[in-house]
Amino acid sequence: MRFVIVGAGRVGLRTARVLREEGHEVVLVEGHDDQATRVRDAGFDCVEGDGSREELLVEAGVENADALGALTGDLNTNFAACLIANHHDCRTVMRIDEDYREGIYQKYADEVDEIVYPERLGAIGAKNALLGGNLQAIADVAEHLQVVLFTITDDSPMKGYNLSEVTLPSQARVLAFGKAGGPMGVPLPDDSLETGDRIAVLADFDVLGDVRQLLLGRSAEETAAAAVEG
Amino acid sequence: MVKANTGEADRVKESLAALDGVVEAHVVAGDVDFVAKTVADDPGDVKRVATNAIQTINGVEGTQTYIAMD
Repeated sequence: MRFVIVGAGRVGLRTARVLREEGHEVVLVEGHDDQATRVRDAGFDCVEGDGSREELLVEAGVENADALGALTGDLNTNFAACLIANHHDCRTVMRIDEDYREGIYQKYADEVDEIVYPERLGAIGAKNALLGGNLQAIADVAEHLQVVLFTITDDSPMKGYNLSEVTLPSQARVLAFGKAGGPMGVPLPDDSLETGDRIAVLADFDVLGDVRQLLLGRSAEETAAAAVEG
Repeated sequence: MVKANTGEADRVKESLAALDGVVEAHVVAGDVDFVAKTVADDPGDVKRVATNAIQTINGVEGTQTYIAMD
């Protein structure tokens, strides 16, 4: 696919790299000449100038692009770039700078298809690193809804059972399943849960603790706390 | 120009529009979140609206005031 990325700072350039690694065509638009030089040195096509001007976005190929990512730190530039891209029937993704604005832009900015708040994604990564090992938050689907990937351990209460025997709370669903070392796939009722298998669950925050306890067992701290209470 | 710290854009916009002296309020894209247009007889009136009234709306973080010249 073809993408235009406006803003070649830490978010834009990194996004461009990931897209290129996956075989997509990327053109960047960058206003600072020293940064534009770095972008070209990294082997990218770069249009130099203000990404909120239509002639520059046209030069970058917005007319034939599948999507435009407005990823500068400047909201006015980002919104203007999305308006222009939307006019050219391009899918639009806009970076915002403060989390309270996420809902406002989702509601009012019809021209913007998707909002990204890099700090939120960074927080998910940091949370995974802090939690470690057997539980990985994949995405916040909504305010109270999260997709979490669990890796079955020797201590998992459901180890040895089939997926059909796993009774999750009503506010949770199994989305995907993968045997240890194998790819993730559609979950089947007779898939058995063994150590190292991975199971992706969509769960409401209210029941996430119950799901974790069912699939992973009590954490060491909880076991210790229960022993003290007992 | 009104900067907020809340996602409740509708509530803030309605609170702005309901103020005495405010004739228009809009949600805007960019560094600020709302633009409120005020008609006032003198600078004291502008101060009353901008400082005393708008700043007391829950979720408003700050304001900048510009005076139209035309």
